[in-house]
Amino acid sequence: MDTLLGLIVLLIKIAVMLGGLLLAASYLVWLERKLLARLQIRLGPNRAGIFGLLQPIADAIKLLTKEDIVPSAADGFIFRLAPAVVAVTALLMFAVVPLGPDIRVFGRAVPMVITDLNVGLLFVFALSSLGVYGVALGGWASNSKFALLGGIRGAAQMISYELALGLSLVPVVMLAGSFSLTTIVDAQAGIPFIVLQPVSFAIFVISAMAESKRIPFDLPEAENELGAGFHTEYSGMRFGLFFLGEYVHIQVLGALTAVFFLGGWHGPLLPPVVWLMLKIFIVAVIMIWIRGTLPRLRYDQLMALGWKVLIPASLINIVVTGAFIQFGTI
Amino acid sequence: MSEDKLKTDEKPLKPTESSGWSALKALAEGFATTAKHLARKPITESYPEVKRQLPERSRARIVLTHDPDGRERCVACYLCSAVCPVSCISMQSAEQPNGRRYARWFRINFGRCIYCGLCEEACPTSAIQLTPDFENIQRDILTLVFEKKDLLVEGCGKDPSYNYYEHAGVTTDQRGKGEHASETPPVNVKSNLP
Amino acid sequence: MPKLTIDNREIQVPTGTKVIEAAERLGIMIPRFCFHPALGSVGACRVCAVAFTEGPVKGIQMSCMIDVQDGMVVSTTDAEAVDFRRHVIEWLMLHHPHDCPVCDEGGHCLLQDLTVAGNHGIRRYRGLKRTHNNQDLGPLVQHEMNRCIQCYRCSRFYQEFTGYRDLGVMGIGSRVYFGRSVSGVLESPFSGNLTDICPTGVYTDKPSRYFGRRWDYQRHPSLCLHCSLGCNLTASARYRRVVRHEARPNLEVNGHFLCDRGRYGYAYASAADRPRQAMAAGTPGTIADILTGAQEAIQRTVEQYGPGSVAVATSSRSSLETLALLKQACEQHGWTGPATTQTDRQALNQRTAVNCLRPELAVSLAADTEAHDVLVIGADPLNEAPMLALSLRQVQRSGGHVTVIDPRGVRLPFDFDHWAVHPSAMGAIVQALIQEIAGDGTAASTEFDVTRLARQLNASPRPSVICGTDILTSREIALAGDLAQALCRTHRVAGLFYVLTGANAFAAALTQSERVSMETVLDRIENGSVRLLVAVEQDLWREFPDRKRLQKALKRLDHLVLLDYVNSPLNHEVSYFIPTQPIYESGGHWINQEGRLQGASAVMAGGDTIEVTGGLDHPPRVFESHIPGSEQLAAWRALAALTEDHAKTVKAIQEETLRSALADFHPAVDTTSAQPTGQRIDLNAVSHAGVESTEGPVPVVNEASSDTVLLLLVDWTFGTETLSAMSPTLEKVEASPVAHMHPDTIASFGLAEGKPVTISVDARQLTVPVQADPRMAPGVMVIPRHHLLEWQIFGETRVIVKRSQLNADGV
Repeated sequence: MDTLLGLIVLLIKIAVMLGGLLLAASYLVWLERKLLARLQIRLGPNRAGIFGLLQPIADAIKLLTKEDIVPSAADGFIFRLAPAVVAVTALLMFAVVPLGPDIRVFGRAVPMVITDLNVGLLFVFALSSLGVYGVALGGWASNSKFALLGGIRGAAQMISYELALGLSLVPVVMLAGSFSLTTIVDAQAGIPFIVLQPVSFAIFVISAMAESKRIPFDLPEAENELGAGFHTEYSGMRFGLFFLGEYVHIQVLGALTAVFFLGGWHGPLLPPVVWLMLKIFIVAVIMIWIRGTLPRLRYDQLMALGWKVLIPASLINIVVTGAFIQFGTI
Repeated sequence: MSEDKLKTDEKPLKPTESSGWSALKALAEGFATTAKHLARKPITESYPEVKRQLPERSRARIVLTHDPDGRERCVACYLCSAVCPVSCISMQSAEQPNGRRYARWFRINFGRCIYCGLCEEACPTSAIQLTPDFENIQRDILTLVFEKKDLLVEGCGKDPSYNYYEHAGVTTDQRGKGEHASETPPVNVKSNLP
Repeated sequence: MPKLTIDNREIQVPTGTKVIEAAERLGIMIPRFCFHPALGSVGACRVCAVAFTEGPVKGIQMSCMIDVQDGMVVSTTDAEAVDFRRHVIEWLMLHHPHDCPVCDEGGHCLLQDLTVAGNHGIRRYRGLKRTHNNQDLGPLVQHEMNRCIQCYRCSRFYQEFTGYRDLGVMGIGSRVYFGRSVSGVLESPFSGNLTDICPTGVYTDKPSRYFGRRWDYQRHPSLCLHCSLGCNLTASARYRRVVRHEARPNLEVNGHFLCDRGRYGYAYASAADRPRQAMAAGTPGTIADILTGAQEAIQRTVEQYGPGSVAVATSSRSSLETLALLKQACEQHGWTGPATTQTDRQALNQRTAVNCLRPELAVSLAADTEAHDVLVIGADPLNEAPMLALSLRQVQRSGGHVTVIDPRGVRLPFDFDHWAVHPSAMGAIVQALIQEIAGDGTAASTEFDVTRLARQLNASPRPSVICGTDILTSREIALAGDLAQALCRTHRVAGLFYVLTGANAFAAALTQSERVSMETVLDRIENGSVRLLVAVEQDLWREFPDRKRLQKALKRLDHLVLLDYVNSPLNHEVSYFIPTQPIYESGGHWINQEGRLQGASAVMAGGDTIEVTGGLDHPPRVFESHIPGSEQLAAWRALAALTEDHAKTVKAIQEETLRSALADFHPAVDTTSAQPTGQRIDLNAVSHAGVESTEGPVPVVNEASSDTVLLLLVDWTFGTETLSAMSPTLEKVEASPVAHMHPDTIASFGLAEGKPVTISVDARQLTVPVQADPRMAPGVMVIPRHHLLEWQIFGETRVIVKRSQLNADGV
């Protein structure tokens, strides 16, 4: 009975999470287009519905009804698989993000997280590394030089920044003493880690943006040199899945930034879920702002930043943090 | 040689410019600029509600114009169809009883036209002209094939004065030999007087 | 062989070559207006200036006027020379009108090209331009004198090259005028060449006036089918309509020119009444159905009456491909034929000419111009093969002498000796000549000085014999061959040149295993042994000389299968009519009268022209992937489909059939190694055995009695040849048909000059005005096989007419 109930609760949580994420992703697109337009003194989408609010729906209909083209020279199976890999890994990462403290329903404690893995952080890393398979395989399976170059860039970029990303979180783990995201959030009940670890925060945000292939790190899909990079040959909903993956990824980033550095769902007055969503929203807006402001890095600049700046900086940060923990008072 | 070029291209940075601080300052300036834009009114004009008067030389729907005296300008010389990069112009030249060469039929396939304006540049009589009227859309692509009657417009278009047959030197009902611009009367071949 | 350097490249050329030609051999095209390879140098335009930097000549000189000399160093890119040429272009353009958009030359205009090449884009001259009035030069050539740059090509061509006098040059200074003294139709049948040689738009092609630009035309090498010479031409077509012919230079055949018959005779290919629909007894059907019907009819006839009951007829305008398939079909299936001529006499004539043409004697049309003395026997060059007259003119220009032995009042545009001999006496004269040349002359005393002619031919460095095959009998044709051989014995170099009747008459003669003409076929139809006739591109209605007999005989047939591309009243009556493609759509090979095998490309896809499909004001607005009215097949394809069971639709099988048929056609003909200028077939492989003996005295033929007149039905330049007679353009220049007779003959038969004469044959009459021609032989009457005359009552083209058959009209 308990197992059954647990299963039902789990399914409800998954459904709510999935629905929320997809809805949020689609409106994130709207937000990005609208905000970007205003940053560039334009209007943005304004035809579908009032303020263009129905634009995501129109886009979805368009993508779903478009012809699904698989290039004749492509590796069909991998070509079809790749977009799903991107979307699924991005969605799965949310399984370990705690949305708030446990709530009580009918006298039972229901954790506000789908699953509280004790290696949640490693799980997140594993998935974000898997995500790049979608990019690399999609680029390769398209059998197009642009797509292949995009895929290769994606893989190289991921390898370079995954390292810095991981190292930037070592101090957080050291401070929280756990890999579980719930525990990390609980550790920030008082002071959010952004205050204690500003360097880690900076490295994390930069690396995470590079992981999500957003401007100024969008080399895998650099429009002006590679067409559309790894998804050049994709159309219809397969392209839509790549697109969805990207915007879910933004939310994941927002959530992870909130969990690791901004105190997760902790916050005064407002309910915890609202606090978390607010933090995610702020991160997303900042990322859009960055997109509206910064130009794309050159490939050598990208690599230099990753290997010559971020990794040494995070290593030094670990040593300094370790020294504080060992000898200091924290 | 190449080194000189490199030198002229890359000016050495001042110490203040290359410092980390100035880099951060530049970043901050960028973010400030875009942030300030948020408060500005968008400059977009919404198209169907606001229709801007396009410049006279903008290139859209193609027309065939008339001479100042009201006759068809086109002499069907085939230069526009020859220069057309997408081969969307076709015609058949013929002679009118009054001696003027004209297009018996003239056809532009706007489904194919890329509005490059080369036909207008090639036209020696100012007959074919591009107009700013870009709202030339049809549901059925075959209705985009315009015949001569669809292309002909009243008036001279952008060139109000040019009349090719005033300069051509060929005989028409209006002008004989020696009656065109800068011509002397025909030579009397039966006379050897200078 | 002087050696010179042009633009740092050395070349050795024969003495007498001009520098401009030497440069052309190196691929360096020095600008030119007045220079033309056929007309030579005159130095009028000054645009071929080049710099001679070292050697015997120095400075800026006209490259067309300087003979090459050893050690010359020429620069075409010398700055001074380039500047000189640029100024020449500018001053030539001073008075040139601003009418390129409405000029038909625009797009292939030499002046336009060189103006652009000389970088003269903006006119600096702001003064007044001199103008000229135009002349109406007739329906073929449009005159626009304002555009003239005084290169003199036209007057040199017209007066010097062709020998006509009615177009020339007048005036002085910048007022030089090229034209006639008064407006009027140009007399020369070569006037169309003016449009080719004029470097700008003074003379433009009138039938294609204001039709299109050359860049829009489908242009492919083709051949002229309007006589047996096989002149090379480039055919232009647009929107599925043949628009224009231009001469295609072939220095072995026609040089750089064409006659007007060949240039303007193309209208049949796009005629509104051209049959495009397959029909069975006048009922339209798909071509596949009609082919099946015809094939079944042939099978039934063969089963019932044997293979010999199927007869095949074709004509000498069919391609080699068609002839080869017909020959193969007749050999394989045992059918009768193929009949390639109308009468037995013609069949024998062609066969004799081909057999007499030994390889050591055969000369090309171009080689004719190099002959020194030419004897023309029984041929009227200007009327039968106009380009031959142009060649003979070159013989006369270079100091040679032309003698014509012919009963007709032959006219040529130069001075020549004409012996108006009655056809029955021609054999004796030629035989006397042979004897004189061989040295055992017994000089038969005639009114003609055979001895002098024989001496002249004997003394000539390079004599040539030209012989017609239309009005003669095989005996004279063989004698002409003997004459050439006799000359060859004394000279080593002597030419023999037969004028045949029809573009592919040579190949048609090679198909004759037994001599079968339409006459023979009709005999067999009448006695019931032939039950089915397949007539391929053979216009029986117009060409068979006895229409009544033809009609009667055709009615006796079980089936008549007709394949053709010209309209004929028979088309709707025959059992099966299959439309075929003319040369412009099918291409093919033809063998001209000297045995030269030449190829023609297909110029366009067939089908209704857009005047038919779309109306006049625009092309059709309905788009479809197939061309309306394009169901015709090349004749050989249709024949392959008729003779092979599986070839009806499969093109590969048709082509395989064609390949085998061409391989089996004749050992002398090898179509696989085609050359651009065409090559002479292996005349050694042609049997010379069938030549009739010409030994012994000429039998006295009593054709020249005082009570009869010999009627010759002959070719005229315009109006008689089947295909070109359908050209509305040429109809405007053709002469109206008249009967020519010697004034004495007119008087002796009680006729009056200028009045009509009626000739009656079996209750059928032909009425035609009589015209006196004192240059003719007495006792001969010459009537053209004109399309306006119903001459098909005589049964032959050479017949004896009795006094009782001739009536002055109204008598």
